[in-house]
Amino acid sequence: MAETAPPPLTLAVGDRVVYPNQGVCKVTSVESKEVAGQTLTFVTMKREEDGAVVMVPEAKVRSIGLRKVAGRADVEKVFTFLRSDSDKANLDWKQRARTNVERMSQGGLMGLAEVVKGLQVLSELRPLPTKERELYDNARHLLVAELAASLHIAEVDAEDAVDVVLFPPGRERPKRTAEEFRSGTGDEDGMELGEDMLELGGEMEIGAEGEAEPEEAQAEAVEAQPPARAKAGAKGKAEKKPPVERKAAAEKKAAKSAPKAEKKPAAKPEKKAAAKPEKKAAAKPPAKKAAAKSAKRK
Amino acid sequence: MIRLVTLDAYDPKVIDRLCKVLYTAFGVGCEHAGDMSLPSGQSEPFDAQELLKALPSPRAYADDKILYLTSRKLKPRAVISGDVPCSGFANQNGPRALVTSAGVKDPEAGLKQIARHAMHQLGHTWELHHCLDPRCAMYPPWTLNYDGGDTFFDTFCRDKSEQRIRLAKS
Repeated sequence: MAETAPPPLTLAVGDRVVYPNQGVCKVTSVESKEVAGQTLTFVTMKREEDGAVVMVPEAKVRSIGLRKVAGRADVEKVFTFLRSDSDKANLDWKQRARTNVERMSQGGLMGLAEVVKGLQVLSELRPLPTKERELYDNARHLLVAELAASLHIAEVDAEDAVDVVLFPPGRERPKRTAEEFRSGTGDEDGMELGEDMLELGGEMEIGAEGEAEPEEAQAEAVEAQPPARAKAGAKGKAEKKPPVERKAAAEKKAAKSAPKAEKKPAAKPEKKAAAKPEKKAAAKPPAKKAAAKSAKRK
Repeated sequence: MIRLVTLDAYDPKVIDRLCKVLYTAFGVGCEHAGDMSLPSGQSEPFDAQELLKALPSPRAYADDKILYLTSRKLKPRAVISGDVPCSGFANQNGPRALVTSAGVKDPEAGLKQIARHAMHQLGHTWELHHCLDPRCAMYPPWTLNYDGGDTFFDTFCRDKSEQRIRLAKS
């Protein structure tokens, strides 16, 4: 399908525009300047928040995503969206990050609302990692600033208007499970990758309550897995053992017959974890012997 | 510096303890800057926005924040998506904030609740937005269980407020 080119954006002095990821700006001048022998028309804008000045060539105005401040109809649509039950957050962190970046730069007012709502819903499942928490704050800041500019109200009123919808007075904050989200996306692998990355990154804001949430979600995820997958998870844990332990485990496995191993229940990881220190103690003497041998050789 | 102005009579012990909590929360000094009377021409329940506009400012430096404390009731604020229960008011990045202790019968026993609301409104004056963490003082104050929470900022809000305060000082 061929895309039709968007109509050119004509800007005049005094117009209020939104610069993606920067916020609401006011056009202060449109003038021609000679740069490297070429005469270019530049639009100069002043950011309303702090007075920072930006100059953009007129030809690039569309491509950078500059747009006029949203109208009343767009604001209505945003509030309808925020009120709606579209509470399925993407659990694949890679996809989520990509979509959110796109929404922030190209999505307009609705894009900002989608980022805010998506991350708010996700935070009901588990605390947001630092990067996403920052993204949430930026998106919320830009959304509130544009709503305030669009409706000619104070920022504090715009923020409360958004939050009264997102956090209705007198209602408990819902507690969500990974299952709820998974049924919407159907992307289990993505979910696992996301959790792994969160663990690796270690950027979670951990608190007394916050700690429990991801653990609960993981426990639920393990319960929901078929036994074979749960076993695979347990295997993964076993792989993390030091090499000496692995040898001992392999010898034990070889000694046992295959049908017996099949009969084992899936909920072994805890027992294995408890037995770890004993195994370590048992594995130490051979390692010491090896070290003594190598010393003798030297 | 946070300058606390009382609009009604409070026990000095309560004010002292409130100042200490705010000092701990923001890491900037907090002192009682005196009493003031409520402006005439307005009646209870007050419109927080109008009341804050009408209140005179005590002597303060440019980067000081002024917190007015009253025991009078505040009217719910009407915004385009509904009515917002009001326990205080502050403009984003503004110099002044207002907070009420109307919902607290005994200010000494309910100091934590007053302090949490005061932290919330002062947070707005340092450009903090509402937070996602229900334990944080910047969580929307009209939600259930907010009043029972602790005088606490989550990591993100604490870092952001510290950064804003540093910027204001420089």
